[in-house]
Amino acid sequence: MSNQKKRNFQIEAFKHRVVVDPKYAEKTWKILEHAIHEIYNHNASGLSFEELYRNAYNMVLHKFGEKLYSGLVTTMTAHLKEISKSIEAAQGDLFLEELNRKWNDHNKALQMIRDILMYMDRTYIPNSRKTPVYELGLNLWRDNIIHSGKIQSRLLSTLLELVHRERTGEVIDRGLMRNTIKMLMDLGSSVYQDDFEKPFLEVSAEFYKVESQKFIECCDCGDYLKKAEIRLNEEIERIAHYLDVKSEAKITNVVEKEMIANHMTRLVHMENSGLVNMLLDDKYEDLGRMYNLFKRVPNGLSMIRDVMTSHLRETGKQLVTDAESSKDPVEFVQRLLDERDKYDKIICQAFSNAKTFQNALNSSFEYFINLNSRSPEFISLFVDDKLRKGLKGVSEEDVEIILDKVMMLFRYLQEKDVFEKYYKQHLAKRLLSGKTVSDDAERSLIVKLKTECGYQFTSKLEGMFTDMKTSQDTMQGFYANHPELAEGPTLVVQVLTTGSWPTQPTITCNLPTEMAALCEKFRSHYLGTHTGRRLSWQTNMGTADIKATFGKGQKHELNVSTYQMCVLMLFNNADRLSYKEIEQATEIPASDLKRCLQSMACVKGKNVLRKEPMSKDIGTDDAFFVNDKFTSKFYKVKIGTVVAQKESEPEKLETRQRVEEDRKPQIEAAIVRIMKSRRVLDHNNVIAEVTKQLQSRFLANPTEIKKRIESLIEREFLERDSDDRKLYRYLA
Amino acid sequence: MPLVCLSSPEGIEALCSDLGVDYTDVRILMLAWKLKAEKQGYFTQDEWQTGLKALGVDSLTKLKKALPELEKEVEEPSNYEDFYIYAFQYCLTEEKQKSVDIESICELLNLVLGVQFRPQVDSLVEYLKVQNDYKVINADQWINFLRFCKEISFPDLENYDATQAWPLILDNFVEWMREKQS
Repeated sequence: MSNQKKRNFQIEAFKHRVVVDPKYAEKTWKILEHAIHEIYNHNASGLSFEELYRNAYNMVLHKFGEKLYSGLVTTMTAHLKEISKSIEAAQGDLFLEELNRKWNDHNKALQMIRDILMYMDRTYIPNSRKTPVYELGLNLWRDNIIHSGKIQSRLLSTLLELVHRERTGEVIDRGLMRNTIKMLMDLGSSVYQDDFEKPFLEVSAEFYKVESQKFIECCDCGDYLKKAEIRLNEEIERIAHYLDVKSEAKITNVVEKEMIANHMTRLVHMENSGLVNMLLDDKYEDLGRMYNLFKRVPNGLSMIRDVMTSHLRETGKQLVTDAESSKDPVEFVQRLLDERDKYDKIICQAFSNAKTFQNALNSSFEYFINLNSRSPEFISLFVDDKLRKGLKGVSEEDVEIILDKVMMLFRYLQEKDVFEKYYKQHLAKRLLSGKTVSDDAERSLIVKLKTECGYQFTSKLEGMFTDMKTSQDTMQGFYANHPELAEGPTLVVQVLTTGSWPTQPTITCNLPTEMAALCEKFRSHYLGTHTGRRLSWQTNMGTADIKATFGKGQKHELNVSTYQMCVLMLFNNADRLSYKEIEQATEIPASDLKRCLQSMACVKGKNVLRKEPMSKDIGTDDAFFVNDKFTSKFYKVKIGTVVAQKESEPEKLETRQRVEEDRKPQIEAAIVRIMKSRRVLDHNNVIAEVTKQLQSRFLANPTEIKKRIESLIEREFLERDSDDRKLYRYLA
Repeated sequence: MPLVCLSSPEGIEALCSDLGVDYTDVRILMLAWKLKAEKQGYFTQDEWQTGLKALGVDSLTKLKKALPELEKEVEEPSNYEDFYIYAFQYCLTEEKQKSVDIESICELLNLVLGVQFRPQVDSLVEYLKVQNDYKVINADQWINFLRFCKEISFPDLENYDATQAWPLILDNFVEWMREKQS
């Protein structure tokens, strides 16, 4: 066992040598001051970082941070003042280069100094709320260089000059610009904004104001827009290359305002090259450019839209009220379709299919299509033409496309019930004369109408198709039951259900004996299987094929109307017949008879009859003979058609009257429906609701609605409220 | 109670001459209203007795004296509309009749509204005679004539609004008046 003394180790705080030397601070500072000088003089390599750091550390530790800091400020300021002089001395283009070079030097120096003084940065500076070293360095640079009297304005004018030169087409040193601008940004956003950006925007505004004025005097609209677009892109590119990205929105605003917003109206309305001309000439590229540029300014797009709308309305109005185009309904509708296609394409290609423009297009069409009260009739005639021959040979997809386009026009109609009436008439004629080119197309259109307007609109139309099919079956059954009739004339009967087909006055005529007998046989056959029904022959709607032999032996097959057949068959038993004799024998109504005789006696190429005298009109004293000299290069000759035609004035009036009559019960039904659910409602709301309910069929006239209300009051369906005269009450 | 044979128009004519009042005088109509007479030109025994009681008279002389008071009673705002409507219904002589012909309406307007609304009645009557949209007037149109006179300033027609619930015949009348005035 050793007798070792136990030694207690005590750890004592490391004690510095307490410095009592008053000159200590001054001496240390001088070392550091010298170091700063060396750094600025590019002599830093000879310095010991560790030593300098320690010196600075000691100063701060011994409570000489204040001295260190103020010394730093003084020294740095002195150096910067020197630097400032050297920059001021630089000539011309070298100015910026010198500035940049010195800036880089300063940055490097600053970093080194900051590293050396790191301890102060972390302790003394936060405690005494002083500016940290790096930031201090920037501020001193800003105050002594950038804001120095001799440099500040020169810097700005140099930068602006360079931008201006670039704008006028010169190539500038973009790298230099970028560095300079970056310097300003590093010095603080307010420096960038006040010392560069604000003046830059002002000068740019002035520049573009002048330039746009120059352009607008000498360029047409399309060229001007091209130039504006180029300038705009230039500015955006400039930002990307050497300016703060936050300036982009500001400078583009300037260009947009000066070049576009200020001249918007003049551009749009420029004679011979403005918006309207672009629309007329389908200038998709120019229009697209205008759209993109105007999109950037307030009210730009709405201006384009408004001008387009008023132009479209004007053009459309002229189209529909032009007397010439009204002469040919098919042409009329085709022109509408073409116009729509044109604008559809423009909106798609140039206006990026914007919904607001689509709406403007639709509302314009709705406006002018209804200016012509014959639009519904014409659209039906257009469809009729297509379904009779226009769609022959057209592929199924193309048929759908055409029908869809027609549906678009249909949607614009306010008086859809008028269309329905005409469509029914025309469809009836097509079906009965077997003249439809494609059954599928017919049905496809019915389906589209049903989707658009509901079942009620098309149920009768579908009934017509059903009747045609049923009639075929009936005919088969008839001939199956009467095989002995196979030798005689072939009868084809279409049995039409009264409610589904357009109403016709039932006037019959005297059929030739053979036909009359045959028809009777059919009637008894039909009524045998369908008791309780009533059949009436519609002799004004039928057709007949007759084989005829003329004087010189020429044989022809004549396709005629039933009336014409009645007249012609008379000549089997007589060579000469007077008008009166024909009238008596056939009992065809006078106007129809005259038309029928005229088509057979006065039309070149169809004159199977000869008339004395040879006048153009049919007189009641005329005499008729078979035209033995009749010739035609065709074996089959078609005389007299039951083609749908544009209505004559009196027919038009009649149809219009029928439509008005049909509307009355519809209005009343709407009123009753509304009043039944609301019980009590004031006058204006009744009008509004009724109009809304009937909108899909026609535009209800408030006066007409009022009349119907009064009629309902009289019939005690409604009453007026005894206190408030404006209210109506439903009477259960 | 005076025994008057009133179950005939002649009886009423006799009554009128006794009262010293013309058969077509509006006061006879007022009397009919007071009596709640159902049939034009006739007073039933019941109506006569109940009515006279209501008037508080029991002799022809007293009845004659009560006529001015009756007039005042009718002209009271609370009674006037009732009387006005009664006047129309009194003209519905046939069963299920709902309208009155234009001629009669013109006379009735003169009789009933002529004193209080002379200018309106004159114009309205003139219009009714020249227009040919309507050959008869129904109860709804009739009551609105009164409202028209009461509510619409005449002859400027400033506050008339055709988009409101006025019957169409009045819309047309106003249009006709405005055309005449321009």
